[in-house]
Amino acid sequence: MSDVGGGGDGGSKTQRSPSEFLKGVLGRPVVVRLHNGTEFRGVLACMDGYMNVALEQTEEYVLGELKNKYGDAFIRGNNVLYICPQQA
Amino acid sequence: MALSEPARDASAVGAGPILPLEMIDRCIGSRIWIVMRGEREFVGTLRGFDDFVNVVLEDVTEYEETSDGLQVRKLDQIMLNGIHICMMVPGSEGPDHSIPS
Repeated sequence: MSDVGGGGDGGSKTQRSPSEFLKGVLGRPVVVRLHNGTEFRGVLACMDGYMNVALEQTEEYVLGELKNKYGDAFIRGNNVLYICPQQA
Repeated sequence: MALSEPARDASAVGAGPILPLEMIDRCIGSRIWIVMRGEREFVGTLRGFDDFVNVVLEDVTEYEETSDGLQVRKLDQIMLNGIHICMMVPGSEGPDHSIPS
C-alpha cells in the first residue's frame, strides 16, 4: 500500500500514515469499533489492507455491555469503523 | 501514485489547480472535521492518510446521532476506515462551530 500522506516521514510525531499507525498498535490492546456500534476489545494479532482484523482475548461490547468473550476472533474489514489503542 | 505527480509539481510552483488529496495532504497537522455516510462525524487533528483515505486522527471527538439523541465520545488516537467517509472539512471544529451565530 503506497502512501499519499505522511509516507515518507517515517515515525515522526506530526505525520503518521495508517500503515505506520498499524505498526505501532500491533500486539497491543485495541478497541475495534464497527459501523453498527459494536465494540471489540482485544489484543491486535494482525491486520491487512482490507482492514480485516484478527484479535486475541477478545471481548464483545454491545451498547457498552459485555456480551461475549472469544479466545481468537476474526473481523471482516468491511465492518470496521475505526481502530484505536486501548487507554491504559 | 502516478496521479499525484502533476499536483505536486503544481504546488512546487505555487500556482495551478491542486488535486483533492493534495489539499488533504496540506492539512496534516491541523484540525479536520470528517462527515461519514450515515449519522456519524469525527473531529480531530489529522496525522496522516493513505490512498484509500483511511485516516489517522488524534484528540478525536466522535459525534453519533442516535434515537436517544447525540452521543459524543472522546478518543486519543484512531485509524478511521475511509470507506464510509463522505466529506472532510479542514480547519473546522465540527458541527457545533460550522455556522457562525
